[in-house]
Amino acid sequence: MRTREESFFDYTLLFDVLFLLAFGLVILYSTSSYIANLEQNGDSAYYLKKQLGATVLGMIAMMVVANIPYHFWERFAALGYFVSVVLILLVLTPLGIEKNGARRWLNVMGVSLQPAEVAKLAMILFLASLVCKMGKSIRTRKGFLIMLAAPMPICALVYGVTKNLSSAIIILGISVLMVFVSSPDYKKFILIGLAGIAGTALVVFLIVNAANSESLSFRGGRILAWLDPEAYADSKGFQTLQALYAIGSGGIWGKGLGKSMQKLGFLPEAQNDMIFSIICEELGLFGAAAVILLFLLMIWRFMVIANNAPDLFGAMLVVGVMGHIAIQVILNIAVVTNTIPNTGISLPFISYGGSSVLFLLTEMGIVLSVGKGIRLKDL
Amino acid sequence: MIKNKTYNRKKIVTAFFLFLVIFVALMGRLLYLMVFSSDYYMEKAKQLHERERSIKAARGRIIDANGTVIADNKTVCTISVIHSQIREPDRIVEVLSKELELSEEYVRKRVEKYSSIERIKSNVDKEKGDAIRAYNLAGVKVDEDYKRYYPYDSLASKVLGFTGGDNQGIIGLEVRYEDYLKGQEGTILTVTDARGIEIDEAGEERVEPVPGNDLYISLDMNIQSYATQLAKQTMETKEAERVSILVMNPQNGEIMAMADVPEFDLNNPYELPEGTDTGDLSQEKKQELLNAMWRNGCISDTYEPGSTFKVITAAAGLEEGVVTVDDRFSCPGYIMVEDCRIRCHKTSGHGAENFVEGTMNSCNPVFITVGLRLGVDNYYKYFKQFGLLEKTGVDLPGEAGTIMHKKEDMKAVELATVSFGQSFQITPIQLAATVSSIINGGRRVTPHFAVMTADREGNQMKSFTYPVTKSIVSSETSATMRMILEQVVAAGSGKNGYVEGARVGGKTATSQTLPRGSGRYIASFVGFAPADNPKVLALVIIHNPQGVYYGGQVAAPVVRQLFENILPYLGEMDYN
Repeated sequence: MRTREESFFDYTLLFDVLFLLAFGLVILYSTSSYIANLEQNGDSAYYLKKQLGATVLGMIAMMVVANIPYHFWERFAALGYFVSVVLILLVLTPLGIEKNGARRWLNVMGVSLQPAEVAKLAMILFLASLVCKMGKSIRTRKGFLIMLAAPMPICALVYGVTKNLSSAIIILGISVLMVFVSSPDYKKFILIGLAGIAGTALVVFLIVNAANSESLSFRGGRILAWLDPEAYADSKGFQTLQALYAIGSGGIWGKGLGKSMQKLGFLPEAQNDMIFSIICEELGLFGAAAVILLFLLMIWRFMVIANNAPDLFGAMLVVGVMGHIAIQVILNIAVVTNTIPNTGISLPFISYGGSSVLFLLTEMGIVLSVGKGIRLKDL
Repeated sequence: MIKNKTYNRKKIVTAFFLFLVIFVALMGRLLYLMVFSSDYYMEKAKQLHERERSIKAARGRIIDANGTVIADNKTVCTISVIHSQIREPDRIVEVLSKELELSEEYVRKRVEKYSSIERIKSNVDKEKGDAIRAYNLAGVKVDEDYKRYYPYDSLASKVLGFTGGDNQGIIGLEVRYEDYLKGQEGTILTVTDARGIEIDEAGEERVEPVPGNDLYISLDMNIQSYATQLAKQTMETKEAERVSILVMNPQNGEIMAMADVPEFDLNNPYELPEGTDTGDLSQEKKQELLNAMWRNGCISDTYEPGSTFKVITAAAGLEEGVVTVDDRFSCPGYIMVEDCRIRCHKTSGHGAENFVEGTMNSCNPVFITVGLRLGVDNYYKYFKQFGLLEKTGVDLPGEAGTIMHKKEDMKAVELATVSFGQSFQITPIQLAATVSSIINGGRRVTPHFAVMTADREGNQMKSFTYPVTKSIVSSETSATMRMILEQVVAAGSGKNGYVEGARVGGKTATSQTLPRGSGRYIASFVGFAPADNPKVLALVIIHNPQGVYYGGQVAAPVVRQLFENILPYLGEMDYN
């Protein structure tokens, strides 16, 4: 048995997470209090209180999971996959909740839960265990194709049933990253990457050419609004443009905490997907860069833990979480800065959203648990 | 347990650096948005957050030669409602319709209209505005504002002009000097949330309005008031259509009075004269009547000057040397020009007379002779030299030009009729300006009102200068003309213009309006004093007087009465 002195605990990561959570709550209050005051009969802390509850719950979950050896979860890999499929399908039943015109949530005993969040965690677990089960056969063409095919049903369901393209992309992204790490090959991934870029360019090109036809779909309009938000200022480009106003008016040092103007009802979903633009407006480039650095620090810690994990299963779990958080942060910031077309992606640990923070903290617990498996002499 | 392989580690590091690169790229994007595009988005956001309300600038006042304010501003209120702040719509409708005397539906429509701010009524008296403010109704805004106010109502109405709903000049000096008078609007910028509700802690940004400059003019309200009174009186006693009186300083062109009765009430410029049936008038017809009421006959209407124009013929003849004061003429009561027989007003003829006597008699054959001696070329030369072909350049909008024969169409008969003031038309201001220039030593002056602009404290901002053309006649000719015209008043046709104790020069005119034989006449008189060094010149024109219509009998006494009053006032009366 290892003695207590020999075991490792990644306090850097823990404090990074705690700091982001605390910072997130402050920004959430700043962003949501004015609107909450109007919508919730003067309860300006409405969103803060709900988020605080989920955060406390999430922290308990994190500490519990961190103290469970991560191999405990391996046996639930297949079950998790199956449960995700069932939960996603349940959205179609009366248990499903519709918000803002999209049916993406489940009502579980009065608490709304997004099955896509469960699916992300389940996918990480499933692929990590699959990699271990396949062993060396992963180097074969067949193994590679199996790895790539495994996440597809879930992605298709998330996109097809809940019409949630962004979650489908995130799940796909996490999977691709995990397959990438598990396989020794580079060439295939470079080809996949190039094919992806070419495909995206083709789609954009086709949509721009079809700009004048009336048959353009919901997402096609979003792409046009992305290319020129000011031309679609009254419709698809509205939210993006409002976000850009917020970001641009922040300048280098920002207007100061609490002094955002765009949060006063101008920017829709300010406390949710668009919260990063309020950070930019209030804290400026300085604050925005600090937040990005905190996430970079987190990803760096993930890399360190994954590289020193006692075994491949642990490493793959951490890689999955790393992919989840990195992809979500990148996509969120890219959306608010209009670097990519607008799609609903929340900013981890900061955006308002109970199930998101709950599952993210659970994932952090897993990472910390893997970290605990590191023997100091291995470092 | 499967171990972590080296390639796994390498790939994890690769993934980390891939993410790092993307993060750096996003930071670059943020740098671009927040530093290089910051001004652009900040400005856009500011426009989105700020509501702008304008503050009217106080319009500059108009001040007469004595420092009397003749166009001023008074405070009025604009009542509006802000939809999102309304709490008791029914009570607002009730109070506003009662206080503002508006129909309930009219007010309700505006109160219930979904807009950020809706104007209910403007130009509300300050007392009424204060009363509405005292109700303390949420969502009702009372903004103070300026409205033009003319303390002398109709006095000099056609000169001053008035302003419209946005305080912009519509006619007269108000429009001519708009740029100086209007000032610069200010703005109140308030910050609002997405619903348009003002955010108190953000405060408001004010750009103070810049008041317009005061306009100082040469008009003297005492003289104006007396001239208007005389004109009204004459119009009544002579049952005339219209009477114009123009008083100016012949030395520099400053106009001291310009009356053109009937005038109109500047404080109610859209009210047609009493007795006008407006019931079934179309909008166009009504506007036509208003335009006619606002029309300043002294500058916008032309007429045949008649015998007063003999001043110009005489000056041209003397200047050219085709006639001297001692030249002898004989008037048989008519004169033959080519095969045309042109009658003198005295059909029995004036008999033998010299040039001075001919002028005193206003003898047509004498002036026809002088005109013919000059010839078309010379006559036209002087017509042009005296400035009669151009507008005078008076600083009022709407000046009419001269209607004159073309030089190539002018034959002996036309020349003959022009010589005694017929067959062409000029404006009253043109006659006054030309006579002024002939008797002031030969300097063509520009008739004008504006002297200078100044700020509210009276510090001069801009002083106006006007073109002067030197030597349109020699000073000798000018002196001779003064002498002759003094004789006209002292012992000739203009003797009714004589003022005891003063030296007055002048010339009468009686002209039949076109078409001839209509029995409509224009009686006029142009007079100046003191005759040796003229300080004031007055032109009286009476349109269509009933009964006696001779200028010498109808118009000259008006100038006499005017001079009797204003010469002592101007300090130009010799009490000996």
